[in-house]
Amino acid sequence: MEVFSLLAQGFAIALQPINILLAFVGVFLGTLVGMLPGIGPINGIAILIPVTFALGLPPESSLILFAGIYYGSQYGNSISTILLNVPGTASAVVTAIDGYAMTKKGRAGPALAMSAIASFFGGTVSVIALMLFAPLLSQWAIRFGPAEYFALMVFAFSTLSSLAGANLAKALISTAFGLMLATVGLDPNSAVARYTFGELKLFDGMDFVVVTIGFFAISEVIQILEESSKGQQVKSALGRVMISSREFIKSLWTMVRGSVIGFFIGVLPGAGGTIASFVSYTTEKRLVDRQNSFGRGDIRGVAAPESANNASANGAMIPLLTLGVPGSGTTAVMLGALLGMNITPGPLLIANNPQIFWGLVASMYIGNLMLLLLNLPLVGLFVRILSVPRWFLLPAVAAISFIAVYAVNNSPFDLLLMTGFGLVGYAMRKTGFPLAPVILGLVLGPLMEKNLRRALSLSGGDWTVLFSSPLAIGIWILALASLFLPTLVARYTVIRRVDSEEDGEID
Amino acid sequence: MSQRLSDRIAGVLLLIFASWYGLTARSFNVNFIADPVGPKAFPFILAVFMGLSSLYLIFKPDEGPTWPPFSVWLRIILVVISFVAYAYMLVPLGFILATTLELASLSLIFRGPPLRSLMAALLFSLVMYALFAFGLELGLPTGRIFSFLGV
Repeated sequence: MEVFSLLAQGFAIALQPINILLAFVGVFLGTLVGMLPGIGPINGIAILIPVTFALGLPPESSLILFAGIYYGSQYGNSISTILLNVPGTASAVVTAIDGYAMTKKGRAGPALAMSAIASFFGGTVSVIALMLFAPLLSQWAIRFGPAEYFALMVFAFSTLSSLAGANLAKALISTAFGLMLATVGLDPNSAVARYTFGELKLFDGMDFVVVTIGFFAISEVIQILEESSKGQQVKSALGRVMISSREFIKSLWTMVRGSVIGFFIGVLPGAGGTIASFVSYTTEKRLVDRQNSFGRGDIRGVAAPESANNASANGAMIPLLTLGVPGSGTTAVMLGALLGMNITPGPLLIANNPQIFWGLVASMYIGNLMLLLLNLPLVGLFVRILSVPRWFLLPAVAAISFIAVYAVNNSPFDLLLMTGFGLVGYAMRKTGFPLAPVILGLVLGPLMEKNLRRALSLSGGDWTVLFSSPLAIGIWILALASLFLPTLVARYTVIRRVDSEEDGEID
Repeated sequence: MSQRLSDRIAGVLLLIFASWYGLTARSFNVNFIADPVGPKAFPFILAVFMGLSSLYLIFKPDEGPTWPPFSVWLRIILVVISFVAYAYMLVPLGFILATTLELASLSLIFRGPPLRSLMAALLFSLVMYALFAFGLELGLPTGRIFSFLGV
């Protein structure tokens, strides 16, 4: 089969010493940023982008590193969730229900082991799916013209906005704000300076690394000032970090279903790990929870969300790699990095740059194996890192952010911009404006405007061209539906289910 | 109604911002016609989009957040001042000195023990300099004040 020879070529790339090292560094840092509350994969990747540029890494090596951080963070996020009931990232919130209940029963070790094994399972199943589905989807997407692309980006924004926060109007404002930031600088078509205030440093536009680090890392540092300054001490004994074969067999089908659910939800723009883990958990609860043990430390309650959120991270790579339209903040940052290396992901990426796609896929098999080995015997080491006091951790995050921001242009001006965006980000966090749509808008804005203007050039200025092909109309309908359906569905089903869970079963 | 004030204020500010953004776009004139849309259309669409959303926010605001007490605001202001000072100090003082000072101040603002904060700040700055300047080949400023040493 052709897949195997392509995969073999991928392994030839992924097994180069530099790429093995980068995969390891990626998954190790990913585990760290996933585990530590307040630092997520978006920060981790944004901070490393200037480093990969300075080192002149080829795109496939950079992507191996970034993807490692992304899926590695889905392993790490369960550590603080299970031990401290503090989710490392939002996609581990559901894991807290049964994971922390197990810790309170003195079964933290098996919970951590289950989480690592389920993450490995979800990661591996979804890499296989990525490998099989992505080439098919990109062959289909070759027929997309500028009008279809424009509609597709609207679809990405509408799903991300409708799922990103409680208030749709705020999410749409965040999106518009990100797109507005993208218009700063010289217009590539006409060389008119837009929103630069005559400042030469803004002629190249807002660098998305500066904006991302300001919005995510700096605003987080500011927000944590509101909380206590102590590190978190893990008090419970870990016990043996292993599960019995009986527990594995009991959880096997849960992991299979979790992986499939997670993968397909991950492919959808906007949905991501949080929704994947939630849907997987509630599905399992309905299907297999005969003794009503979910919520009281059932090991399948850990297996379900952890397999799903890992699978979703790999699923989210599909729209990025095959369409060039990311559906989440993290994949948007990866797109920004690829654009900076003059790689424009899209339907032709797999055909024209097979080393990028197949090298990445092969490295994901390797990286997931590394994560399993890192997380089973070495989990004690990570637990010790959790107790680093905040007075050291947060200034350290700030210092690393400064280095990355300064390195973008060797310009102190960017540090001021970063501070400004940090304050805006803090205000947005407080008032419930989601941050991910801003980054997606900033990265996709230029592509969106380019496709809009190209479509209208081809039609001679006739705006109906945007709705002229059946494919484009289909995407527009999906975009509209995604904007309003989740709000309605959430109002009538999901929230009620969460309420009923919180009423009775936790503890 | 008062606890919904945060969103109303945000809505008004955003409406003003969107109006300014849209009005500014009127001045983006090109002498030749490169494409039928030009550099104005996309910003206009965005301005209308944000304007309508912020109107919605003004009329249907959420419950406001709990804003932190004054003592926290004071620390936030201190942190921001330290960031701005760092931006101006980095090139003159050089990475190691500026970062040590900045880290030590931040640690103190985060209520770290004074002596250990200073030690950790110095050590971390040195390690970061070694890692990023030598290991990862990023150009970090050595400091203008040390220029007499010939570096």
